[in-house]
Amino acid sequence: MSLDRPGAPGLGLDIRPRPYLYLSVGLVAGAVIALQICIMRIFSVGSWAHFGSLVVSLAMLGFGLTSAVMCIAKSWFERHWHGVAAASLFLFGPLMVAANLVAQQIPFNAIFLISDPMQKWRLLENFLLYMLPFLAGAVFLGTVFLKAQKIFGRVYFADLTGSGIGGLVFLGAMFLINPDNLIVIPLLLWFVGTVLWFEAVDHRRGSFWLVACAALAVAAHFTLPDLLDIRKLAVSDYKGVAYARKFPDSARVYERASPFGYMEVYSSSYLHFAPGLSDNAAFNLPMMPPNAYLGMYIDGDGPSGIIRDLPPNETDYFRYLSMYYPYLIKNAPDTFVVQFGGGLSASVALKNSKTVTVAEGNPAVLAAFQGDKDLRDFTGDILHNPKVRVIDYDGRLYLAYTQNRYDVIDLSLADSAGLSNPGGFAIVEKFSYTREAMRSYMRALKDGGVLSVTLWNKEEPPKSVLKLYTTMAAAAHDLDGDISNRFFVAASYLSTATVLYKRNGFTADEVEKLRAHTRAMSFDEIYSPGLVYDNAKTAEVLDGYKNQIFFDAAPPGDEPKDEPPPDSPAEGSDPNQPASTVPATTMGQLTWDRLVHGGWDDIARSYVFDTRILTNTRPYFAAYVRPADLPRITDRLELFQDEWGYILLWATLAIACITATSLVALPVIFGWRTIFSHYPGKFRTIVYFACLGLGYIMVEVGLIAEFILALSNPIVSASVLITGMLVFSGLGSLVSERFLDRARQTMPIIFLAIGALLIGYGLFLDRALDFIGTFNYWLRLVFCFALIFPPAFLMGFPMPTAMTSLARLGKDHMFLWAWGINGCFSVIGAALVPILATSYGLSTVLIVSGCAYLLAMMAFFAVLLPLGTQRPIEAAA
Amino acid sequence: MHRRTFLFSSAAAVAGTLLPRNAGANVPKPYSFDIFPPTNSREAFIGWMQSNRGENPNFLGLRWSRYEVLLRNKDLWEKRNTRAFLMTPREEFVLKQNLGRVYEHDFLDIGYGVTISGPHLVSRMTSTIDVKLGEKVLEIGTGSGYQSAYLSNLTDKVWTIEIIRPLASRTRGIYDALIDHGYSEFKSITSKNADGYYGWEEAAPFDKIIVTCGIDHIPPPLLQQLKPGGVMVIPVGPPGAQRVLKVTKEQGPNGQMTIARSDIYNGKIVPFVAFTKLEGDVIKGTHNQ
Ligand SMILES: C[S@@+](CC[C@H](N)C(=O)[O-])C[C@H]1O[C@@H](n2cnc3c(N)ncnc32)[C@H](O)[C@@H]1O
Repeated sequence: MSLDRPGAPGLGLDIRPRPYLYLSVGLVAGAVIALQICIMRIFSVGSWAHFGSLVVSLAMLGFGLTSAVMCIAKSWFERHWHGVAAASLFLFGPLMVAANLVAQQIPFNAIFLISDPMQKWRLLENFLLYMLPFLAGAVFLGTVFLKAQKIFGRVYFADLTGSGIGGLVFLGAMFLINPDNLIVIPLLLWFVGTVLWFEAVDHRRGSFWLVACAALAVAAHFTLPDLLDIRKLAVSDYKGVAYARKFPDSARVYERASPFGYMEVYSSSYLHFAPGLSDNAAFNLPMMPPNAYLGMYIDGDGPSGIIRDLPPNETDYFRYLSMYYPYLIKNAPDTFVVQFGGGLSASVALKNSKTVTVAEGNPAVLAAFQGDKDLRDFTGDILHNPKVRVIDYDGRLYLAYTQNRYDVIDLSLADSAGLSNPGGFAIVEKFSYTREAMRSYMRALKDGGVLSVTLWNKEEPPKSVLKLYTTMAAAAHDLDGDISNRFFVAASYLSTATVLYKRNGFTADEVEKLRAHTRAMSFDEIYSPGLVYDNAKTAEVLDGYKNQIFFDAAPPGDEPKDEPPPDSPAEGSDPNQPASTVPATTMGQLTWDRLVHGGWDDIARSYVFDTRILTNTRPYFAAYVRPADLPRITDRLELFQDEWGYILLWATLAIACITATSLVALPVIFGWRTIFSHYPGKFRTIVYFACLGLGYIMVEVGLIAEFILALSNPIVSASVLITGMLVFSGLGSLVSERFLDRARQTMPIIFLAIGALLIGYGLFLDRALDFIGTFNYWLRLVFCFALIFPPAFLMGFPMPTAMTSLARLGKDHMFLWAWGINGCFSVIGAALVPILATSYGLSTVLIVSGCAYLLAMMAFFAVLLPLGTQRPIEAAA
Repeated sequence: MHRRTFLFSSAAAVAGTLLPRNAGANVPKPYSFDIFPPTNSREAFIGWMQSNRGENPNFLGLRWSRYEVLLRNKDLWEKRNTRAFLMTPREEFVLKQNLGRVYEHDFLDIGYGVTISGPHLVSRMTSTIDVKLGEKVLEIGTGSGYQSAYLSNLTDKVWTIEIIRPLASRTRGIYDALIDHGYSEFKSITSKNADGYYGWEEAAPFDKIIVTCGIDHIPPPLLQQLKPGGVMVIPVGPPGAQRVLKVTKEQGPNGQMTIARSDIYNGKIVPFVAFTKLEGDVIKGTHNQ
């Protein structure tokens, strides 16, 4: 077998490999990725991010569909390639605009997804509409690949690099353009890409029509909404910001778009915040300060409260907030606030501390509070207060490596904007709450210093607070053997929970003070050194919770009518009787009793939800429902509305698997006997491309999550990874061409190296990233790119090597189909990552992708089997 | 764009509610707290309601079916509350496009990013505060108006506050129209458009308070306006998956006020809502089967 060198005579290229061709492919690929991110942004701002992920990842099945169709009708496409490419390009841009405008008019209302039978169809309409432009893009790219298949490596290089750079361009554009107009970026990339395409195929007349077409699309986006009185970006009435806009006296006082989110600040007398306020404040305070807050919304979610610079006589109510606890036992401390947020905990700290160091990892928040005149006035310019020092990156990273020590470290309700997100919470990495982070906080305390962590306690049965408890106990165990006098925990039912950890333990006096305060505030004492837990309630509370979630329906019709149930509140509301302890309080007490004195594992096993700790490899307050229990909750999804983000992942995975396998099967059904009959090793070829599709995307998505450790921002991390991975793989793809003749020898080595690198990354990457996080930001970026390079570069080899081989062996159908299989399994892989990550951790994601590449190695030789070999199995063995 | 969105949704919402209600039927017989619809059979109930209240038999059938489920699920357990549910025409308080699902267990959209709570939640919350005739009740979050309409069948002193101005006036309009049609019980509902955070100072104190909107803490003014021995309920969590916090205010012998938090099952763990399925007006087992 001899493979032609590119450019050599006899290559049989239909398209002349001019620079314009590569540029055009790169730009169109860039437009595809920019459109993906754009749609995600539109969903984040208009409804909820996880619905965007669902729609976009499924829309990418457009590539699979295209490949299946092209595979079946290959000769037609070959004959009409010129027209097909031109037509699909012409359509791509206008379809972006049209699909978006139409989709925004669909009254899709995520929060009624379960209860309103119409809503799932509206979600489907969204998906079908947004898939249209991707289909056009896919047809264009597919046609080019088909016609330039023998130089696939180079076209693929253009494709990947273009995608990577497209992502970067989009990132930059997010600084300048509000979410409702971001669609102009993919439109622009498409326009330039298309102009160059007509240059590449010497079809200059096309450019004239193109300009007209693009002008129409832009005009439609900017004028139609006003003319027809329709919406460019429909913000759900159920988003936090939608309410702020309806308050009669509300006014937007700040607005800024950036990659760190679309930030808006509203003022209104209707905004009231006092997270974890004791009910007793009502009888001891003359009044709550009016107009004390602005509401901050990021991507329409919120509000988080921005507190006014209050005169001393109005701050009495701080004492009634749960975050006040550490100041009861620490006088004039040096305080560290791990996340500034809207500034409430910083204000409380400032009122009670000698010095306050406050960290904020979101540059957009810092820019607003340090730069905007109105916000500076409102907050009394808190960030320039002489007692305040600002750390302009993640507090977690700062504390991990600083030599400074603090009396109080506060992590209060950080980034928990919004009390209840009716659309559910997306799966996000919370590295500030992991065991490793907690350990750093504990170590950064002075002798006798106090770490105070406050979290919302709004779930019943409790979920996130139990994870917090187990995580903090694990971290404390890492430092000391006996932790029994290290903790004090108090909570308020369906409000907040606060965990105090004291370096070297609480004294008896301090414990008494804290308990007295807890009583005075009517909070529930969950743990204090010496608290005796009554074991008799254990079975009841555990069974009760199981029953609450996994109840079987009562047999209908057997209760006596017109009679109160035995436990009815009407009977029991004797005001002289103390209210019985609610189960959530008992559960908290039980948890701490066992965490401190041993035996927690047994309890955890019989608890309704997963309570495993957060670690740097599994940093999620999510996935409380154990996967094995999922089938049992499908009929009661309403009870899990806060977990829809997680449940949607399973839905995405299920839909992706079903659709992807049917798409892959399509050509099989049409042509296993005819088209493919003389293709040897087809099954292993499928395995090969499936592994590549799965492996590549899993690495990309998994690393985006993991790199937040060092880069402390999901958007930056996504951009670094998308750009880094794709560009480096593009380079790999370009270089792979040189090794094509020696593929049999080199590829196994490459696969082994990829497998080893990924598994190694899986095992050690989190430590490396944690360390990288301590450098200045530019150096961090450099180190991150350096870490991405080796696997990404090598991962650029397998795809073009195999595709070019298929092409040169004349396995044209297989070539087209392989591209689709790869695409379909990318969709599955992308959906699989968060599920694997929440259940088994990010390291597992990398290890699984490493294994996928090793499996691909074993299937590789089937790709090289020439056409017509009768007994392919032996030939490859 | 934001102004436009607002106009769009308010126009849509208004269009959605101005329904031809019950073909303009007037309530034939005067209202009194002494009249009780029969509960011995569906037919008797429907017949009585038609002749005494002039309501649509289809909705009455659906209401009856939901009533049976509410009883079984122990969301209603007492005669006056049962009566209040049966006497309140929920179909007058939902958007036209949701009329087909008006008595289903789910919460429904009523425009402005607001929902009307499902019948189980409303009944459970109302039964819990055990309103007696003559007691003063404050509702925060009028929304559709259904909750206050329900309350007006339990007591003749109901105050309700809504923060969203166009919604407040829309609902006021619904009450007024219904009063014109003879629903004289709704005359005992006093409503205003204001921030419920500060309660209703002029009308305070209240025996019972029902809050139907979420906030990160219980507004201190509301606790102050609650009488000693009074009860307040507040749902916590996203619509559809809410826990209801029950707050009782007690006065100790020394005059000291204390507030106790529990949930509306008094600390017992009970499946929050039985997933009883209602198809048309027939109960088709439960969602678990
Ligand atoms: C779940 S809905 C009410 C359901 C209503 N009770 C019913 O039966 O249809 C909550 C309502 O509370 C209103 N609301 C929210 N915050 C409020 C406040 N601070 N004061 C008064 N009403 C408020 C909302 O506008 C909304 O109409």
